[in-house]
Amino acid sequence: MTKYLPALSVLFAVVATAVPWGLPADATFILPIIVVMMVFCWRAIPGAALPPAGAAGLGLLADLMSGGPLGYWALMCLIAATVGGRAGSLGEGRDLGKHWLIWTVFISLLAGFGWLLASLYYFRWIDWWPIALGALASIALFPVVLFGLLWIRHGRLGPERSQIFRGSA
Amino acid sequence: MRERGSPLFRRHRPSWHAPVELLSFGLYFLCAVLLVLSRIGHGVIADVRDELVDLTAPILEVASFPAIEARRAWERVQLYASAFDEVDRLKKENEELKQWEWRTKLLERKVAHLRSLLNAVEEPGLAYATGRVIADARGPFVRSALINLGRRDGLRIGYAVINGDGLVGRTVDAGDSVARVLLLNDLSSRIPVLVGPKAVRGLALGDNSAELQLDFLPDGAAIYAGDEVYTSGSDGVLPRGLRVGVVTGALGAFKVRPYAELNSLDAVSVLFFDAPALTRTDPPAIGGGALSTAPVDRANTATPSLPVAVSHAGTADGVPSSGGQAQVER
Repeated sequence: MTKYLPALSVLFAVVATAVPWGLPADATFILPIIVVMMVFCWRAIPGAALPPAGAAGLGLLADLMSGGPLGYWALMCLIAATVGGRAGSLGEGRDLGKHWLIWTVFISLLAGFGWLLASLYYFRWIDWWPIALGALASIALFPVVLFGLLWIRHGRLGPERSQIFRGSA
Repeated sequence: MRERGSPLFRRHRPSWHAPVELLSFGLYFLCAVLLVLSRIGHGVIADVRDELVDLTAPILEVASFPAIEARRAWERVQLYASAFDEVDRLKKENEELKQWEWRTKLLERKVAHLRSLLNAVEEPGLAYATGRVIADARGPFVRSALINLGRRDGLRIGYAVINGDGLVGRTVDAGDSVARVLLLNDLSSRIPVLVGPKAVRGLALGDNSAELQLDFLPDGAAIYAGDEVYTSGSDGVLPRGLRVGVVTGALGAFKVRPYAELNSLDAVSVLFFDAPALTRTDPPAIGGGALSTAPVDRANTATPSLPVAVSHAGTADGVPSSGGQAQVER
């Protein structure tokens, strides 16, 4: 069961993105980006298993539920899985600050790419503000999500805490 | 077998990462292909999506229940917090509505009298079904909602969806038990509208923001902020006269603020309005009378009759009547 926890937690988040929360129009990008962030975090946490194919599948499910272009969130999750996998193996110093910085740079680039891809898809410039707001919110929420995922993994903050939260401990 | 252990073979042996890299590349390629197919609107993709949406509908319905209840609870808390102000406002509104009721009854009698003088045809009723929003499909690209009504309930693609405030959108996908409603503010939403008391024609365009753009207005159109906007029905998809919203902004950048709160939809009604089809040929039994202009020998001639214009004047009301029939003139 522990093996499937990463996929199950991301699946739960994907379903949550489709629930009618009544969020304002500008905030619609926050929840899908949190799904992408969860994929990134799971891949960065040492020992957690979320294969890129699983991440892409969950992204595809998000596409289906949102009614948007098929493959868009699958691609975003796939990129997050690839980068997250590399971020987890960045030497010994796996502290929170470094991961946070990697996520900040990564999501800034990914948001820009996502905006360009969406604009290309619709042949018109998409409103950039909801994407930027989603990216900013994800940067602010990064420690909370990482903390939450570690708690999900162990029911408490496990052995990775000393590695990942070294900077904050 | 001995060759396997040779240094040369080992040097050229592919890394164990190769299949993983290949799989990743395949996944990226698959995503790109899906995006292209989705863009061109491939039929198979649409069918598969409909099937999967139908399958996930029960999960979404269960998952959305706590969210909807939580939202209602929050709205109640807000209502309790402003209960006294709300009572004062409702009292004032009630007084105004009583005056309107008196005026409406007067106008109803007048309209009925004029209709009888003109020998106008009776307006057929418009059936509707009410359902609930079970999922929110709003992202940077799409402003849509899933509702728990489908083809089994008689729903079809293109039907208007309203709530108590006004027009919400129209159905774009329909499964057996669930349908997707494209909201007014979606990027691909185009609603032909009439604006203000002079019924100026225009087009309300969604741009994924809270308000709609008002475009394709005639030059020098007399439009002012606060004018009411309602559907014109000229697209043959939506019935005429459904309330859309109110004009905001200034000359050159008019916008429409929808009456319906599109961010927090709950119960919605689907109007079963089908575009009336005109028959291009008269039935064979017609003719021979004094007013007939058809030739006597019609065995081999298919004389097309002139299309009889069907009246489409409509009521400017987005709320169906309580008897299960929304009065929209057809």
